[in-house]
Amino acid sequence: MTAAASTTATKPARRGWAFLAPTILPGFGTAFGFTLAYLCLIVLIPLGHMALRAADVGWDRFWAITLAPRVLHAFYISFGCALAAALINAVFGLVVAWVLVRYRFPGRRLIDAMVDLPFALPTSVAGIALTAIYAPNGWIGALAKAAGFKIAFTPLGIVIALVFVGMPFIVRTVEPVLQDLDAEVEEAAASLGATRWQTFTKVLLPAILPALITGVALAFARGVGEYGSVIFIAGNIPAVSEIVPLLIVARLEQYDYAGATVIATAMMGVSFLMLLGINFLQRWTRSRHAR
Amino acid sequence: MAIEIRNVEKTFGAFTALGGVSLDVRSGELLALLGPSGSGKTTLLRIIAGLDHADAGEVSFDGQDTRDRAARDRKVGFVFQHYALFRHMTVFDNVAFGLRVKKKAERPAEMDIRRRVDQLLTMVQLSHLATRYPSQLSGGQRQRVALARALAIEPKVLLLDEPFGALDAKVRKDLRKWLRHLHDDMHITSIFVTHDQEEALELADRVVVMNHGQIIQVGTPAEVYDHPADSFVFDFLGGVNRLNGVIEAGVARLDGKAVRVDGAVGADGPAVIYVRPHQVELGVAPAEGVPEGKWSARVSSLHAAGPVARLELDLAGRALEAQLSRDRLSDLALEVGSWCTVDFRHARVFPAKS
Repeated sequence: MTAAASTTATKPARRGWAFLAPTILPGFGTAFGFTLAYLCLIVLIPLGHMALRAADVGWDRFWAITLAPRVLHAFYISFGCALAAALINAVFGLVVAWVLVRYRFPGRRLIDAMVDLPFALPTSVAGIALTAIYAPNGWIGALAKAAGFKIAFTPLGIVIALVFVGMPFIVRTVEPVLQDLDAEVEEAAASLGATRWQTFTKVLLPAILPALITGVALAFARGVGEYGSVIFIAGNIPAVSEIVPLLIVARLEQYDYAGATVIATAMMGVSFLMLLGINFLQRWTRSRHAR
Repeated sequence: MAIEIRNVEKTFGAFTALGGVSLDVRSGELLALLGPSGSGKTTLLRIIAGLDHADAGEVSFDGQDTRDRAARDRKVGFVFQHYALFRHMTVFDNVAFGLRVKKKAERPAEMDIRRRVDQLLTMVQLSHLATRYPSQLSGGQRQRVALARALAIEPKVLLLDEPFGALDAKVRKDLRKWLRHLHDDMHITSIFVTHDQEEALELADRVVVMNHGQIIQVGTPAEVYDHPADSFVFDFLGGVNRLNGVIEAGVARLDGKAVRVDGAVGADGPAVIYVRPHQVELGVAPAEGVPEGKWSARVSSLHAAGPVARLELDLAGRALEAQLSRDRLSDLALEVGSWCTVDFRHARVFPAKS
């Protein structure tokens, strides 16, 4: 395969279709072969194998397991909380990025470093820390209890944990775009008579929207896959605050390998569809920019 | 609209961008702010637009102080050096922006906006590109979109920051002429900033020469070119030869010979004689000696491309640049190494800076 590809690359340009457009960059064969092998070993074969194992149980059982109320509710919690957290982050992550880019104040570098903390921290640490604060006997949890509601051990707690792990994705994707935005563009809007709010909604927001959507997509994907920080604060009450990854682990612990595989496959399918949707959304916003 | 600028000061940290500048801009004129970078010209423009605030002094429009008027209430059209177009909007939407952000009571109907934008795009000769995005346009086209966008709000003043700075020479020349015609048609009070003396002299009704945060001279292009206020203006307004001489008893002398100079001569002492290359008169060297009142020089290099020939001469160890027509050059039959006589048609003398 290496030999075949390298001859394609060195042959003079032919008319019509070619596997590779003529290029002077060497090493296509090796690099492409490696890419394929790598993706197969790490992504394609394991996931494909899992789908095959899930197919072993047959369609009827597959649907029976997937559509069980407890499983459906777990799906609802997993994707709903991840989406809610991503949207919350879209607003507040944007504010954080804005503050970090636009203002110079003492302690800016400290806050800048703090943004990355959720990246670096093992998520179980985050889970314990958040639970300690938001549990009914914790600082904030006690306040909530006095006000008549619970944070930890409810979907609200899950959302808080996912906001925590997802925040850096928004801040770090939006920040460079905000930095690139010319202050002159805002001045131009002002000199044309736009108010601050009009400048924000009509000039700034559209410019950062593609980056913001990318950030939301990343935070959402991370939220769907999150396990460590959620299991502590969620309380994992079936049909109340149980997420899909936890359900899979629970099935495995009960030696129900078929059930675990089926749920995992369904999860994979939904995630794939979500990613597809987000990609289309990104293409749509980008096409409106026509860079 | 007339603009009065009184004792405007602005500092950035330790740097004085404007040190007490006063200027009257007449209604309907096209004014150039000319100066090297760091001379404060862009700062002055931004203060007029309300994009920067003066530390002291005042700017008034038709006698009304503008201190409390934000940029968006000033009705000033501003064209930025790098255009600052909205990248996510089409050309049409860029131009329509200023109309669409107006308060509901003042905003024209969508059909009127459409008509007005079409009109502006026709004027800047871009109606065929209305649906394009800025990234799909050339520099000159972007510049014209920026101009149409600024004109859409029917500004009383048009301010242009280095309007042709980022364009190549050919486009720059065309746009310059075009802007002049546009101004002659519309008569909006316009101020543009440039560091290109040729641009300022060719385009403006009046030129304001600035340096180190001060206005050095204000006048028509002919006035500032022919009667520069000081050595800086003389130097900045075009190529110049600086020759070290002396002033003795009210007469400027170069190598002992008197130089005829325009304007004041100044006090006795070391002096610098300023001569523009095209004011250097060359003549055929006689077989022997040097004619009375002239100097003798040797041609050290010669560039004869285009209608004008440029010569580098060696005048008693000093480098001297001269410009003359190709016809005159062939009459004189000068070559590298040949000798000629030198005289100065017009020269100015300024005291040497100690």
